[in-house]
Amino acid sequence: MTTEDASLTITRLIGAPPATVWKAWSMPEHLAKWWIPAPIECQVVKLDLRPGGGFETRMREGNGAFQPHVEGCFLDIAPEARLVFTTVLREGWQPIEPWLALTAIITLDAEGSGTRYTARVLHRNAADSRKHADMGFHDGWGTALDQLAAFVEGG
Amino acid sequence: MENNKSPLDSAFRALADPTRRAVVSRLMRGPVPVKALAAPFAMGLPSFMKHLRVLEEDGLICSEKVGRVRTCWIEPARLAVAEAWLAEQRALWEAGTDRLAAYVETHMTGSIEDDD
Repeated sequence: MTTEDASLTITRLIGAPPATVWKAWSMPEHLAKWWIPAPIECQVVKLDLRPGGGFETRMREGNGAFQPHVEGCFLDIAPEARLVFTTVLREGWQPIEPWLALTAIITLDAEGSGTRYTARVLHRNAADSRKHADMGFHDGWGTALDQLAAFVEGG
Repeated sequence: MENNKSPLDSAFRALADPTRRAVVSRLMRGPVPVKALAAPFAMGLPSFMKHLRVLEEDGLICSEKVGRVRTCWIEPARLAVAEAWLAEQRALWEAGTDRLAAYVETHMTGSIEDDD
């Protein structure tokens, strides 16, 4: 079903109020801690939380140079409630050809004493994904994912 | 991989259309003769055949004519490629969400004041 329109939705109840979860997303020092799985290091280059503001993160393994990770543009920001970014634009609405075209819609809703966190991710089609694979996606995020899986399963 | 388009591109292009999605969905339950397959759709057989041709060219379905009856069936391998890609995207976002939740719950609760 999700294959049909190439979108996906993930939801999770987080044991902290929306204000706290928002901080984890909106403050570079916090975002860098979870956005990319250790041991890959994340550098938050741009986190300009306003419509048209830039979003850029880089990654590196060991002492290597930082590599591109995500470059995008925020479309909508409602503090402690909603954050939308796309990778088909960069800062200032400038159109770009991304590795992977996507729009991510992140919503935070208070639920009990926690936060109902939902990430809805829209993809254009799979044409990008091939490019993604060709450009070594699987050695970057893919490897990171494998490491995370190993970590989670080991714990 | 084909020369200028990947199986994945083809699968998603083919599935971008609601009629073609409905056809694939129907064929998931087993082979169907073209006429029966076309019956639920409010379009002429020539238009419907165009959709089948897209699905067949992109390797999502196969068909064979026996006597006067052409029967279609699903080609699961190609569909699996599209599903695998999306499953991978999902796994990435799931993992990211897990990390966010773990980070917030272990490092940000009870010590928020320290963060500023």
